[in-house]
Formats: sequence, C-alpha cells, structure tokens
Amino acid sequence: MSFPALDMNPDFKVEVHTTHNRGFTPEEIAERCATKIISISDSANPAIQAQAHAFRQHMVKVLEFYMHEAIKSDRTTVYNAILDSGNPELAELIRRL
Amino acid sequence: MAFNGNFMCTSFKKELLYGVHDFDNSSGDTFKIALYTNSATFTAATTAYTTGNEVSGTGYTAGGGALTNVDPTSSGTTALTDFVDETFSNATITARGALIYNTTPNTTSITVSNPTVVVLDFGADKASTSGDFTIVFPTPDASNAIIRIA
Repeated sequence: MSFPALDMNPDFKVEVHTTHNRGFTPEEIAERCATKIISISDSANPAIQAQAHAFRQHMVKVLEFYMHEAIKSDRTTVYNAILDSGNPELAELIRRL
Repeated sequence: MAFNGNFMCTSFKKELLYGVHDFDNSSGDTFKIALYTNSATFTAATTAYTTGNEVSGTGYTAGGGALTNVDPTSSGTTALTDFVDETFSNATITARGALIYNTTPNTTSITVSNPTVVVLDFGADKASTSGDFTIVFPTPDASNAIIRIA
C-alpha cells in the first residue's frame, strides 16, 4: 500500500487499554510487552508465521513468570518498609495481597 | 464537534524543516500527550496545545503526561521514531482522543508555544475508573510507526 511520504499510515491506530478498580495484571502487560518485542508480518511465509507465533506465546509465558516474580519481590520490599514504619497490620494486609 | 481520524499536523511537517523538534531520547525535547473529550475538534490544521475540551479527573493533570522519546532510527529507506507507551495511573477519566505536542521546541524559527505533532483519535470514548489508562503506540516499524519519513 502506498501513502504519503510524511504522513500517518491510513491504517494507523493507537490502542488504549484501561482498567476499572484495579491495575493491569502481569498477563495483560506480558501480552503488550510481547507485541512490542515481536511483530509478525501478515505476508510472511505461513510456516515462519506459525513458528513466530509459537515463539511469541513462549515469550508471553516467560514474561508473565518474571513479572509475577518482580511483583512478589517488590511486595516484600513494601511489606518491610511499612513494617519498619510501625504499621504491622497494614504490612500484613500488603503481604496477603 | 468530534474527533475525525488521526492526523500528522501540517505545521509539524513544516517545523521539521525548520529544525524545531528533537526526538532524541536523552537530549531531545519534552513531548507531552494531552487527552480530550469528543467535543474537541482537531484536524491536520491544529497547530498548538489547547486546554479547551481537555479531560479532567482523578489521576490526570491539565497538560497531560510527559512522553519518553525513543531515539529516531531507520528501516530500509524509511526514518522513524516512537514513544514509550504512556500510562495514567489510578485514573478516573474518559477520553476520546489526544494531542501530542512539544513543550520545549527550538523557537529560533517559530513563535507558537507548545506546537502540536499529531492528533490521535481513539475511535471511541475510552474510560478508566480508579485504574490505569494506557496509550499503546503501534509497532515502531517502517509501515506503522507513529512518525515516519519514507
């Protein structure tokens, strides 16, 4: 498809992701992250497309795992910071999240 | 009175030739993204940020959020640049579109403040309630990047 040299692609689309009364889950962020890392052309050879999609799904799982690890680790840091500030009940609530 | 598509502002194209905008990640200009209701009427002729019809709500400050520039690069014969996805956290807002604009342009050759780069149409009202509102920019390649010179 041809379009002006300095203009937006007619198919250009910016996506907006929103949540209600919560943040994004690691699974949602991992999907977004994988899309940034791996783009798969619609015109690629079908065999290569299939391989790329399989790799992308594997990447999503790896990203999800490490995001969960990061959240757990950060929660431990937050728990200890709140505990050190003299709020053991609030710290316990954070730990149980 | 409504958003009517995505536009690269004509004034922005001209300003590129004057060297007004610098998209470098570490030393470039500060670009911001401001959100608007569907009462806003922006086109390719939009030249500067405005507070008219800008959204308001918890987690959103007038003027919008500062974007993180991605160093310009090239793919084949196409030059392109991108921004890191922007999230308004713990936000209760509804927006139909956005303006990306430059808060620190090179003003040697222009007099306008906060010159616009692009108009973004979300296609429908997007809302978050005590949650995250994230603008996800397209894949930064030669065909899809938000700013590309072919």
